[in-house]
Amino acid sequence: MDPAARLGSAQIDVVAQLAVSTVLLGGIYALIAIGLTLIFGIMRVVNFAHGEFLMLGMYLAFFAFTLRSIDPWVMLPIALVIFFGVGLLVYALVMRGVIHASHNVQIFTTVGLSTALQNVALVLWSGDYQLFRPWHASVVLRLGNTAFNLSQVVAFAVAVLLTAGLFAFMKWSHTGRVMRATAQDLDAATLMGIDTDRVYRLTFAIGIACVGTAGVLVSPLYAAYPQAGLQFVTLAYVVVVLGGLGDMAGALAGSVIVAGVEVAGSYVFGTAWKEVLYFILFIGVLVFRPAGLFGQRGAESLGV
Amino acid sequence: MPRRLLVILVASLVAVSALAAVTHGQSGEYKIGVLEPLTGPLAGEGKRHLEGYEAVRDMINERGGVMGKKLVFTVADVPDPTAAATEATRLVTREGVKIVTGTYSSRLCGAASEAAVRHNVIYWETSCVDPRFNKRGLKNVYRTEIDATGFGWYNIEFIAKHLAPRLGKKPNELKIAFLSEDSSYGQGVTESARQRAKQEFGMQEVGSVEYYKFDTTNDFTSVIVKLKQAQPDILHHIAYTNDSILFYRQAKEQNLQVKAVVHAGATGYGAADFGKAHGNEANGVFALLEPGPGFRVEALKPDGQKIEKEFRDAIQKKTGSYPLGAHQLAGGGLWLLKLVLDRAKSDDPDKVRDAVMSLDLPVGSMINGWGVKFSPEGQNANERVQHYMLQWQNGQLVTVWPEEFTTNRAKWIPLPAWDQRK
Repeated sequence: MDPAARLGSAQIDVVAQLAVSTVLLGGIYALIAIGLTLIFGIMRVVNFAHGEFLMLGMYLAFFAFTLRSIDPWVMLPIALVIFFGVGLLVYALVMRGVIHASHNVQIFTTVGLSTALQNVALVLWSGDYQLFRPWHASVVLRLGNTAFNLSQVVAFAVAVLLTAGLFAFMKWSHTGRVMRATAQDLDAATLMGIDTDRVYRLTFAIGIACVGTAGVLVSPLYAAYPQAGLQFVTLAYVVVVLGGLGDMAGALAGSVIVAGVEVAGSYVFGTAWKEVLYFILFIGVLVFRPAGLFGQRGAESLGV
Repeated sequence: MPRRLLVILVASLVAVSALAAVTHGQSGEYKIGVLEPLTGPLAGEGKRHLEGYEAVRDMINERGGVMGKKLVFTVADVPDPTAAATEATRLVTREGVKIVTGTYSSRLCGAASEAAVRHNVIYWETSCVDPRFNKRGLKNVYRTEIDATGFGWYNIEFIAKHLAPRLGKKPNELKIAFLSEDSSYGQGVTESARQRAKQEFGMQEVGSVEYYKFDTTNDFTSVIVKLKQAQPDILHHIAYTNDSILFYRQAKEQNLQVKAVVHAGATGYGAADFGKAHGNEANGVFALLEPGPGFRVEALKPDGQKIEKEFRDAIQKKTGSYPLGAHQLAGGGLWLLKLVLDRAKSDDPDKVRDAVMSLDLPVGSMINGWGVKFSPEGQNANERVQHYMLQWQNGQLVTVWPEEFTTNRAKWIPLPAWDQRK
């Protein structure tokens, strides 16, 4: 093989690996962003404590594995139920009181919740990095010269399923329609006999269930520690704005785009540039397409 | 009746305060301020650092304390630089301490020391490695640990004098790549290592130097792909902790093969969390640290042997493990403060300064095998603060270099394929 051709195949390997990593990383971002976009879109609340529920999901998986040898994949349905309950509880105790308050009050409340949860985790479980390795975390699939981590592939698959499921739920189920109606016009929805408090409660619980499950899925890949949520959550805001508030499919696409900017941008310009790049993207979208890349004009005020 | 009650109350109050005064006079406490990141991203290491302080505080008190008084701490939590500055100020102005020590991290020591010396007290840093720390012309600021440039110096020393011959190459034939988190710690070590590698040994730097944010990097594919293209013999990677765990997992998945990985410091590859996360797959990775298992206490001076043994036992008793990096930095640093106060017999900044400058102890004199010789800038000298190369061997970091100080020998040079690092 002549050198030029070999260089060509090496370049293809590079591009292929970057693409694979983009898609898999995008899957992780999507898992986190879906719950956020739902809460954002229906309730118009920016949940700054979103990352902390991810962190709690990671700890749940960690303790289930180390104390009871339960695989995170087995934990998935259990976590879904647990975090749905956690969502209901947090809504009843914290969110319900501020749901009709100004945005400032809501921001202070969720930021406060975030700090409180981080410090509770610190007190209970210390600041150490906790990582465990179920069998699938060290299974590497190879296709050509690209490598896939099995845990990450499954996380991506679940992200797609979750997005599709929520999309269908919102579009076709009665409850989904009620939720959209509440987002579109709170007063009209109330006049139609919709119990909006119930809608908000359900929305929040579903959103938290999504992110808690995401925590369980990423736990074999990233260490759990009290600030683990912060590592992902600023990105999730970028994703949500990019995809359009409340837009499930947009969140999935936005996640892959942000991951692509991160991976390819780091490769071309150097790792130090990655945050510059995706925040430029973030600002660009806010300026030129405030409804998000896939949102309809005016959707930013409608929420859906 | 009420009056009688009042009399009794007053009498008992007087008695209690008199008693308090007596006991105070008997024990005579001397309080110093301790700043540690006990919450936030550095909490794990901050906690260990404090454990090191507490163990040595008890050792000091068993020997009669400092300046004839029992040494006690007032501890403040400093998760970030703002807190470091305000808490340093509070300890001095409200708690009245004359000596402030801490802080574990290069992110905190600058702000903390700046605030402390503004109130004309002594700032005694035992671990941050920011090279700028002692270059600000602050008179009462001291640091017992070497700075990042010293870490880089030792790393290249090890690569040139130990790894190169074992790889059958001359130092100038070695290809070396640099990767680092972007704090002053990572940059300080990396830049000084780059300089020495190039100028003194003519090593070949390959690829571009990559700096990244340790707390928001979720994927290392781009870095790994570039390293695979550059094909270095040595990867010089300064990491914080989470990032070393993630990088190493992805390096394995994407089959990045280098001949050696060299790190410096008690974070990243030098932290227990890395070994816990990777088990035997961590085998072969090097981290420049304080002495670990295999360290030959016999290689120290008699005084050093005694105190080193006692320190190890104290940490073992307190934590159930061999002293970790954060324990040793805090322990060695606080012991050195005791030596200074013994000599100064005062906490007056000028007397302390005279005592610091007059101390001259060879390598092997105290905890960690350290010696003492401070520069006028208040920095303990690189060559006195002996550092050691440790290597992950079957779940444990063990001392492998310099060889006269250890019973272990470095293995897996060059690193074999990933599935053979058993």
